Amino acid sequence: MSENKQVVNEIDHSMYDFKDVENEQDFYRLKEGLSKETVLKVSEEKNDPDWMRDFRLKCLDIYNEIKMPDWGPSIEGLDMDRISSYVRHKSDMKGKWEDVPEDIKNTFERLGIPQAERESLAGVGAQYDSELVYHNVKDEVAAQGVIYTDLESALRSEYADMIKEHFMKLVPPTDHKFAALHGAVWSGGSFVYVPKGVKVEIPLQSYFRLNAAGAGQFEHTLIIVDEGADLHFIEGCSAPKYNVANLHAGCVELFVGKNARLRYSTIENWSKNMYNLNTKRAVVEENGIMEWVSGSFGSHTSYLYPMTILKGDNSKMEFTGITFAGKGQNLDTGAKVVHQGKKTSSVISTKSISKDGGIGTYRSSVVIQNSAKKAKASVSCDSLMLDSISRADTIPAMDIRTNDADVGHEAKIGRISDEAVFYLMSRGISEEDAKAMIVSGFANPVSKELPLEYAVEMNNLIKLEMSGH
Amino acid sequence: MNKDLNMKVNVLPVLTYNFLRLNDSTILASDIRIDSFESPKLNVVPAGVTVESSVDFEKAGEVFRAYKERIQVTTGVPGDPNGDTSYRDKDQVLRTGMGIDVDEFMTEVSAKADIYTVDEGVKVSEPLVLHYDLKDGDGNVSAQVIHAKKNSEITLIMDYNSDKDASGFLGISTRILAEEGAKVNIVKSQLLGNGFLHFDDMGGACFEKGAINVIAVELGAYKAWNGCYINLSEKEADFNSNIAYLSRDDHELDINYVADHRGKKTNALMQFKGVLMGEAKKTLRFTIDFKNGSSGSAGDEQEDTLLLSDNVVNRTMPVILCQEEDVDGRHGATIGQLGEDLLFYMQTRGIDEEEAKRIMIKARLESVARMIPDPELMQKVIYFIQGIV
Repeated sequence: MSENKQVVNEIDHSMYDFKDVENEQDFYRLKEGLSKETVLKVSEEKNDPDWMRDFRLKCLDIYNEIKMPDWGPSIEGLDMDRISSYVRHKSDMKGKWEDVPEDIKNTFERLGIPQAERESLAGVGAQYDSELVYHNVKDEVAAQGVIYTDLESALRSEYADMIKEHFMKLVPPTDHKFAALHGAVWSGGSFVYVPKGVKVEIPLQSYFRLNAAGAGQFEHTLIIVDEGADLHFIEGCSAPKYNVANLHAGCVELFVGKNARLRYSTIENWSKNMYNLNTKRAVVEENGIMEWVSGSFGSHTSYLYPMTILKGDNSKMEFTGITFAGKGQNLDTGAKVVHQGKKTSSVISTKSISKDGGIGTYRSSVVIQNSAKKAKASVSCDSLMLDSISRADTIPAMDIRTNDADVGHEAKIGRISDEAVFYLMSRGISEEDAKAMIVSGFANPVSKELPLEYAVEMNNLIKLEMSGH
Repeated sequence: MNKDLNMKVNVLPVLTYNFLRLNDSTILASDIRIDSFESPKLNVVPAGVTVESSVDFEKAGEVFRAYKERIQVTTGVPGDPNGDTSYRDKDQVLRTGMGIDVDEFMTEVSAKADIYTVDEGVKVSEPLVLHYDLKDGDGNVSAQVIHAKKNSEITLIMDYNSDKDASGFLGISTRILAEEGAKVNIVKSQLLGNGFLHFDDMGGACFEKGAINVIAVELGAYKAWNGCYINLSEKEADFNSNIAYLSRDDHELDINYVADHRGKKTNALMQFKGVLMGEAKKTLRFTIDFKNGSSGSAGDEQEDTLLLSDNVVNRTMPVILCQEEDVDGRHGATIGQLGEDLLFYMQTRGIDEEEAKRIMIKARLESVARMIPDPELMQKVIYFIQGIV
């Protein structure tokens, strides 16, 4: 590219990068570090049933045994001795927005959450640091029998057995070090149950805000979509930037029943001091459909590969993702799928943009087991390099154990095509606008999968401001 | 000499999920008999080619050591981003696909290398052919160094064969230096018996406008490891490879190819055509690595695998690493059995399913076999394929 090129600005995080002045006396904060005492203290704070307390201690042992990953981005900057596992406001969770403490309310108002709830959501959960501060579901949705509540309340409700049956069964604590950490200190998150045949017409949303410096957020999301039911769940995350490392090690477990459909959309915009070591996994029964839409824009370092187990015959999965790695970011994202059932199908389509020294890695695995006769899998990953100080890697894996499967894979890495820019310029469009159009077009397959207001948010996030020199 | 083998080989340039067990492969075998450390000798050495025979493996590395700065073998440190494993092979005088464990093994068993030097501007028209005619129980470990000086050209054919039921061991290391404008064609035909354990490690460096072309047909041995790492260190260097493989019964094949783009406008094409039958297991890792400074480069890696049994295991890792904006990297893979449309088409022309399969296996493998520039060897490979199908 010539010197006289346009500038594609990095993502503007300022709209999320406001810090609320936290009055220390309003907050309870566990001291930094991880020990048996810390874990017991979190358990006590949560008023855990005995089985959960024991489970947390078992997870701590597993955490201490498992080594750090030897693949993927470096996480040397993450020092657990400087991370507080639990920070909460001293007020309880509210069911009415006006009852939420003023300082927290201001934060979510600025993020536009209450407005979104009024206009386009069936229910909202808002987590601030380690605890849910607000949870509400519209009456008409609740009347359908849909349960949308915080996980702690659900643990003490008639759904307690259901949670015990499913909690960390899909993502066992032995899965990796940070799954074990999550099991030990998890706090907050949502429980959703959509009964048989119920179709939730408008989305539910949980929003996670980590406002405290040097803290971890370990929310657990458990969603069960029963036979023939349908749900769209949206997850948003943000945090202000601090000079110390923050950690997000959440866990999402999704159970998609026979003939059910779940769409799980995420716009992740953690600040650039965040280590986002999140685990998401879904299991899909016969004829079920799992759809992931994932936008990764924030974080200092990310390991994020939503995994789908296509257990039932004819079950399907689609993953559509975009990652934008800017200055100082090392975002390692992708998807994993395991085909077990007959005639299962998966489509993975990702876009990655690297700029200003950012590292964007697409990493995936497609496993087709011998039982998955007539399975079909298709992977397509495109990476766009916007300069030569950045890095874009594509590291996919395929493991196929039956001949009765059809697998296709395509990957491309390149820059904005000079021919495309020339073509647009020959139609009277300026170079800057031409390049902006091409980059927007590159991101379009993802934004079109989002509800309109989130597509707008994503476009705001990218804010591809073009200027010529 | 009898030898136990325990080597970690074919390590991915960057690591990925451990649960896949694809990051590397281990050669583990005990009490392997090795009775020869020499390469076969040429009957006639063409003019302009010098052969230095039976040089200590370590000493043969001097050819590359003399160009250390230009080959740039050393990269990375432990803990580099994204599980970079290059530090592991930093002591190799020339990086190879299988990695440093092979070099250490060669040194340990005192393997000998034959060094073929092609004088500047000499273009050898006839291929040089090394016939490894192995018998049941044979064990051979040997190495070659090919040094093609400026604007020279050479073709080296290596023919590994034995009786089809023979057992034994064959370990090969082939290292190549293609200076400015030089072209080295390497052709390998592996028709070893069903009881053979085999590894074949290659490494190469290409200077400005230098080219290395590899044609390989892998059809035998019960366990085989192949590695190839080509360092396209200067501008307009070129690497072109066409590999055909067939793995059957309970055989295992493990491959690691890397095109390391360092110079500007370098090109790499890696094409694999394979057939898996019986309970065969195949692992293919191939990487296009666009390093900083490789602007204007293009890399393409393609795989087409036909799975003919329900008990095969087919594992593929097509990696593209990119630190340069102005590059074009592509990967494509098609994995599966014969399409129903194709079978139907064949049937309408009176060809039944079994015959259609035979035709497609032959077409796939023979498309590479027919590139072998020695008619006699080409026919031998084609007969071998026909014998199997």
